[in-house]
Amino acid sequence: MSQTTFERRGRSDLERAQARTGYLFVLPTTVLYFTFVLVPVVLTVVLSFSFYDPMLGSRWVGFENFTRFFTDPRSLQIFWNTLRFTFFAVTFNVGVGLVLALALNRAMPGWMLYLFRLAFFLPVMIAIAFAAIVWSYFFADDLGVLNYYLRLLGLPGVRWLTDSSMAMTSIIIMDVWKNTGFFMIIFIAALQGVPKPLMEAAAMDGTPAWRRFFRITLPYISPVVFFAVIYASIGALQVYESIVILTQGGPGDATRSLSILIVEQGFGSFQIGYAAAISVVMTLIILAITAVQQVLSKKWVQQ
Amino acid sequence: MTTFSRRQVLLSSVALAAGLGMSRAFAQSDASATLRVQAFGGDAELAGINSAIGRFNAKYPNVTVEVSIDPISTGWGDYVTKVLGQFTSGSPADIYGTAIETFQAFSSRNLFMPLDDFVAENTGFSDFAPSLFEQGSYKGVLNYIPIGWNNIMINYNRDLFDKAGLAYPERGWTWEQFRETAKALTVRDASGTVTQFGYEVPNQNFFVQPWFFSNGTGILNADWTASNMLDPKVAETLQFLYDLIHVDGVSPIPGAEMMDNQFMAGQVAMINRGQWIVQNAKANGLNMDIAVPPRKEKEATIIGFGAYAIAGNTSNADLAKALVLELTSEETQREQGERGGGVPGRKSAASTEAFLAFPPSAFLYYETLPFTVPVPSPANFQEVEKIFIRHYTAMMSGQESIADGCKAADAELTESFTRLKQQMGG
Repeated sequence: MSQTTFERRGRSDLERAQARTGYLFVLPTTVLYFTFVLVPVVLTVVLSFSFYDPMLGSRWVGFENFTRFFTDPRSLQIFWNTLRFTFFAVTFNVGVGLVLALALNRAMPGWMLYLFRLAFFLPVMIAIAFAAIVWSYFFADDLGVLNYYLRLLGLPGVRWLTDSSMAMTSIIIMDVWKNTGFFMIIFIAALQGVPKPLMEAAAMDGTPAWRRFFRITLPYISPVVFFAVIYASIGALQVYESIVILTQGGPGDATRSLSILIVEQGFGSFQIGYAAAISVVMTLIILAITAVQQVLSKKWVQQ
Repeated sequence: MTTFSRRQVLLSSVALAAGLGMSRAFAQSDASATLRVQAFGGDAELAGINSAIGRFNAKYPNVTVEVSIDPISTGWGDYVTKVLGQFTSGSPADIYGTAIETFQAFSSRNLFMPLDDFVAENTGFSDFAPSLFEQGSYKGVLNYIPIGWNNIMINYNRDLFDKAGLAYPERGWTWEQFRETAKALTVRDASGTVTQFGYEVPNQNFFVQPWFFSNGTGILNADWTASNMLDPKVAETLQFLYDLIHVDGVSPIPGAEMMDNQFMAGQVAMINRGQWIVQNAKANGLNMDIAVPPRKEKEATIIGFGAYAIAGNTSNADLAKALVLELTSEETQREQGERGGGVPGRKSAASTEAFLAFPPSAFLYYETLPFTVPVPSPANFQEVEKIFIRHYTAMMSGQESIADGCKAADAELTESFTRLKQQMGG
C-alpha cells in the first residue's frame, strides 16, 4: 500500500502529461462508443421490458414482450428461417469461396488470373439493393431469365420466389453469388501464406493432392477459415435487404428473417418494446452461435 | 391623470378583442417567419407545391417556406414513424401532407389542430366532395384538408383488346365477364409459356380491396374496429382471385414486384391502379383506358386520398392556414391534376379539358366517387396491412389454404385490435 502510494507520488510531470495525452487520444473513441454502442444497447434492453410509443408514453410490462415472442407460432418459423439461411449461406459462401481460391491459386497467365479474380469479386462491390432487383428479373416465373433458359432446355419452369419451398433457396443462391467473392479473396491471401517447400516436399513424396489439402493446406489456413465462418455467420443472421427486395419475407412468412421482423414490428407497427425484445433475443442467439463456434474451433483450428 | 369612462373601456376592449380576433383569422402580410412543410409525392406534387409557395410569398414576402418531400417509397408506416420522430424530437413541421392510411395513427395521438372552424370560414372548400371531409375527421373533429385522391380502377391496354377482338369493358360488367375477358387476353407460346397475361392479381392491399367491396364485404368490419376475415364472402373473393391464377392461368402469382413496367410494355393487359399511372402511360405512349372494377354484388371501388394537416403546436397557425389555403387552391389542384399527381380534390380542377383528355374515360374517376369506399385505415393500419398481405400472398401462392389463411389472419387481426385497445387505454 505504502509502496503504491510512493509510486503514485513519484510520477514525474512527463508521465502525467503522457497519461493526459493518452486519455485525450482515447476520449473521442470512448465518447462515440458510449453514444452509439453502449447507450443504445442499454436502452434496447430497458425498452424490451416496456411498452413504448413516442406520443402515448411508456410503461413497464415485465417479460410480456418476451412471452409474446416465445408463444407466437410465427416466431418459431421466422427463427427457423434465419437459422436455415445462415447455415446454407455460410456453408456455400465459405465453401465455394475456398474452392474458387484453390482454383485460382495456381500457375496461369497473369491476364487470366486477374480476369477470373475480378469476375468473381465484382458482385461484392455492387450494392445488394441493385443486385437483388436484377435477380428479381432472373427469378420471375413466366417472364424471367432463368425459366426462359430452363424451358429452352425442355425443362419445366421453377417458381423461384413464389413457391414457399423454393423461395429461401433462391435467396441463398443470390447471396452466395453476391458474397462468395469476398471469401475467395481472403482465402487466396491465406493460401499464399502456406509454405511452398512443404507442399513441394509432400508432392515429391507422392502425397495425393486431396491429402496435401487436408493435411497441410487446411490446417495452415484454418484460423482464416474460422474467421470467415464467424464473419459470414454474423452477417447471415442479420440478413435483411436481399429478402425484402426479392420476396418481402413471403410468400407468407416463408423467407422472413428476424431482422425483418424487428424492423416491421418497430418501425411499421410501432411495437417498439416488442421489437427491442426480439433484438435482445437475436443478440443472445448470435452470442450463443459464436460461443459454440469458438468452443468447436479448438478441435479443428490450428493455434 | 387620464381617466376612462366605462363606455370608453368597453369600446376599447371590443376593439382590442376584434383586433386580436382578426389577427387570429388573417395573418399580417408583413409577418416574418419560417414555415416548414413536410409533404409527400413526386415531381408533380413538388411542382404544384412550389407554385403555391410562389403565390403565397407574393402575399407574404417575409415568410420563408422550407419544403421537405417524401416519396413514400417504403410505405406509410415509415412515414408515420418519421413524423412521430419529428414531434418527439421537438422539431415538427408546421404543415404536414399525409394520406388517409395515417389519419387515425396521427389523430389518436392528438398531433394536429382541429380545422372545423377554418373550413367553415372558407367557403372555397365547398368545391370539394363533402365525403372527403367526412373521411378526414376523427371522432367528429376535422384534422385534414383534402388535396387529391385516387380510386382504384381497372386500367386496360386498348391495343391488346383490339388485337383480341374484344369489346372494351362497360359499366356494370360482372366478375364472370371479367374472368372471360382475362382469359381471352392471355397469350401463350407453343410451349405453353405465358407471353402476355390477361390480368395482374394485385400484390398490394390498396389495389386488391375493390374485389372485396364489389362482393359486399371487406377484411375489416364497417367501423374498422375488428376483423371480418371469417365472412364467407371474404373467402369467396380470395378463391376467385386464386382461381384466376391457378385455374385460369391469367395472372402470375403476386410477389414482391408490381407489374407496372410489364403493363407499359404490353405484357399484361389489365391491372388495378389509380390515376397516378396516367402520367407514365402518357410518357410511354400507351393506348390505355380505365373501367370500373367488375361487380359481384355491387359496383364499388376503393378511395385513398391525400390531405394537409397543421401541427397542433405550431407557433405560426395563421400563416400555416394561409399557406394551406394556397396549397389546396384551384390553381394548385389544377396544376397537380394535369401533371398526373392524382385526381384533384376540387371538382372544378378535375373537370378541366386537360385532365379529362386522357385516358378517354377519365370522367369515371369523379363519377364513381359516390360509391367508393375509403381504404380501411384504423389506428393500427400498418399492422393490419402487414397481417393481411402476409396471409394473402401465402394464400395466393398456395402455401396456405384459403380457409386456413382466413382463420389465421382473423386470429392475428383480433390480437392486434385487442392490443390497440389496451394501448389507447380502451
